[in-house]
Amino acid sequence: MRLRARSNAADDHNPGPPNPNRPKFGLAKPALPNPLAHVAGGAATLYLAAFLLVPLGVILARGLAPEGEPAGAALWNTLSDPYYLGRIWFTLGQALLSTLLTVALGLPTALLFARYRFPGKRALTAAFTIPFVMPTVVAGIGFMALAGPRGVLGVDLRNSLAIVLAAHVFYNFAVVARLVASFLERVAPQLEEAAATLGAGRWRTLWRVTLPLAMPATLAAAVLTFIFCFTSFGVILILAPAARFATLEIEIYNLTARLLQLDAAAVLVLVQLVLVLGAASLYTRLQERLAVPVAPGAAERAPTAGTKVLIGADLLLAGGLILAPLVALLVQAFTSPAGAFPSFANFTNLLSVQPTLSFPGLWRALGNSLTFATLSTGVALLVGFAFAYAVARGGWRVLDQASLLPLATSPITLAFGYLLTFPLLVTTFWGIPLAHALLAFPFVARTLLPALRSMPRQQLEAAALLGAGPARTLWRVELPLLRTALLTAAAFAFAISMGEFGATLLLVRPEYATLPVAIYDRLGRPGAVNYGQALALAAVLMLLTALVMLILQRRGRSEF
Amino acid sequence: MSLELRGLTKRFGAVTAVDNVSLTLGAGETVALLGPSGCGKSTLLRLVAGLERPDAGRLLLAGQDVTAVPPQRRDVGMVFQTYALFPHLDVAGNVAFGMVEDRVPAAERAARVTELLALVGLAGLGSRRVDRLSGGQQQRVALARALAPDPGMLLLDEPLSNLDEQLRQALKGELARLLGALGKRALYVTHDQSEAFALADRVALMRAGRIVQVGAGEELLERPVSGWAARFLGHENVFDAAPAGVLTSGRTGAVGAALFRADLAQLLPLQDAADVGVDARAMHTQAGEALTVDAQVAAAQRDGLGWRLLLDVPTWGVTVVWRGFDRELAAVGTPQPGLRLRLAAPPEAWRELPGEQHGDQHGDQQDNRQGKHVKETGRHGS
Repeated sequence: MRLRARSNAADDHNPGPPNPNRPKFGLAKPALPNPLAHVAGGAATLYLAAFLLVPLGVILARGLAPEGEPAGAALWNTLSDPYYLGRIWFTLGQALLSTLLTVALGLPTALLFARYRFPGKRALTAAFTIPFVMPTVVAGIGFMALAGPRGVLGVDLRNSLAIVLAAHVFYNFAVVARLVASFLERVAPQLEEAAATLGAGRWRTLWRVTLPLAMPATLAAAVLTFIFCFTSFGVILILAPAARFATLEIEIYNLTARLLQLDAAAVLVLVQLVLVLGAASLYTRLQERLAVPVAPGAAERAPTAGTKVLIGADLLLAGGLILAPLVALLVQAFTSPAGAFPSFANFTNLLSVQPTLSFPGLWRALGNSLTFATLSTGVALLVGFAFAYAVARGGWRVLDQASLLPLATSPITLAFGYLLTFPLLVTTFWGIPLAHALLAFPFVARTLLPALRSMPRQQLEAAALLGAGPARTLWRVELPLLRTALLTAAAFAFAISMGEFGATLLLVRPEYATLPVAIYDRLGRPGAVNYGQALALAAVLMLLTALVMLILQRRGRSEF
Repeated sequence: MSLELRGLTKRFGAVTAVDNVSLTLGAGETVALLGPSGCGKSTLLRLVAGLERPDAGRLLLAGQDVTAVPPQRRDVGMVFQTYALFPHLDVAGNVAFGMVEDRVPAAERAARVTELLALVGLAGLGSRRVDRLSGGQQQRVALARALAPDPGMLLLDEPLSNLDEQLRQALKGELARLLGALGKRALYVTHDQSEAFALADRVALMRAGRIVQVGAGEELLERPVSGWAARFLGHENVFDAAPAGVLTSGRTGAVGAALFRADLAQLLPLQDAADVGVDARAMHTQAGEALTVDAQVAAAQRDGLGWRLLLDVPTWGVTVVWRGFDRELAAVGTPQPGLRLRLAAPPEAWRELPGEQHGDQHGDQQDNRQGKHVKETGRHGS
């Protein structure tokens, strides 16, 4: 967008074909002086400073110069330890490998979905977004049910790299397919037609036009996948608990929660933060390059016989990968510990078990989850809206650029920062919802921001001329127009909180156990009955998340 | 090498976008497909390019049936309405794209890119990013890119429609010169008749998927085939039935539409009371002689340097539009509503419009009785 603005200023001829998707007004200059936007900007800044910057600063201080030690000693000790170095390399390696596999599967799917129409496409698109919102614990248990010790496939892949990679692909496949496909759908089909009239056949066009065009979107999706896999926690904790599979995120958790080596944990947090921030800034750079000439035109075409085979094969592979663990989970949830199917034994066991303080039953876990999700959604919406409003209406560019930081902050990092910074807050009820709100914040902000930006400036000016000040305009024009975006953002925040695992595990006290924590707790206890209850709980959580996803599906649009 | 379209038909669902179209292009000839939006002209172009498959009919290029040949093997170049430049390639990369497919050696490619950029007036801009070009420059790159593989035929889909008026006028002249100099067969789609007449040797007028008339620009303007064609081409005095029947053939009773060329008529002052109220039939004097009827100015509008008069003609029962300059009005005085005068119309000012025919037409089949003695004054409204 910035490029386009510059090229317009540079030559006085009229510009090329207009791009209907591009906002027609600048971002830096707000339409009208708007004190409300500055209040919102101030509030958002305060929130981010208190609940993100200060905790990160405390970790930084702790990692670089712990109390009673010379500055840099902890850093040097940790980074020269071959064990920790090994963890860093493993984390990098598995993330790169996962990303490669995800792109290898996601890119062809995106190409086929963006260019061809076939029966059931809409339903399949919906199905492909299932993993996107599935809690890590559900994904983990799904793969356990598929290829764990008691899995339906009969092979025990627990503690293998294969199952970790499969889970990561399952988790991120939709990110790649969706992001790239929605980008390709906007690319004018005339570009490919032009290639054809210039002598390029189907495969040559794919190689010389479509793939290069899809490159920025693919890289952006790959970087996002890399970030998710690099900070992978839940699925690895469940599927490959052996020490050799520990990512940095797991290592930090262990150092904090089990070994109480907070200095070393702080150093690892720093290493992780630097790497992820680097990747995240690459991601935003790539996103800026996603502006391409778009033109109306039917991009979808009927597949030829050969393409039909490709689509079939792709759907079988991708669909199988996505559905298999979820189906396995449901099958095993309805299989009694004795092996009978179908049976409600796991659910009746779950309801009949006597909960204790350290052994949460369904109702307490569910209640906690819903309470935390409601509270954190409220906070995230409030702050996310203040943020987006300040950026879009007040020209708070600094905030926009700072929004990378929450995206790059992993759940364990955040929880670790809260433990160090607010030891008292964390013992109260509020620690978990506040952490969840901050983790949901970037998603909320990134959903609301484009919606606010795409509102025509004239609408706001008309409201002002009709006598509405910024607050009245917000109430009577902007909020009604933002309804669907707010709903999408709320669904995002709710789903994130319901499924959040890492930060919750680190901050939780027994009485505040959420559904994911309760599931993990049962998995750690011996016996088929406990395993069955974990499956039943996971099925409940899956159902709840699917409900949220239905809302998302209806109007799912955000910058991700 | 010639291009021949034989009964091409293309349907989209229930809509027939191109309906049994036949057309032949001679060597080096530029034909414009002219018509309102939605008339199927772009679809017809895409059929020729191979971007769409026809539901019926055949397409012959140099005598060979290419109906089933995919676009990349058709030897046609195309300039898209939106230019469709590749944003991931620079200007030179765009122009060289087709030559890479043709496996032209790199050195030769570079030379040809330089040559073509010079031809379209973009010398030295080879390494420029395409999104840093103005609309006019993008249009030239698109043209150079289509020309680079030296295709046997050039297809242009409203190539000037995304430009502003001034630039369009400038590029129209340039494009006409280029097409003439290249001597390439070209098919040019446009909804703008001034573009069509300026650029094409022949114009094919399209309506609702069919070609209603083909011919040189002059022929189309002078002998539009139907009332619709006449109105589309900007004629203002198109009437249905009666007066035309009376005045062109002496027969009474309805024919199809009729066109009155006011530019062939003459305005005369009112001589005396005796001239007023002559019966229409009395005006049938001798063949070839001008008829004179009463007229009254209903409205007079300044139109640039000239006048646009609405003349009520009671004898014919119509209001005709007359355009002309002050000197042609010298005899009758300052035009103002209510002014009575007489209108002298030679027989050739009236033309019957027979109605639209379908199929292959070459325009020259009608006899040329009316000749070319047409005054230019009447047409600046079109």
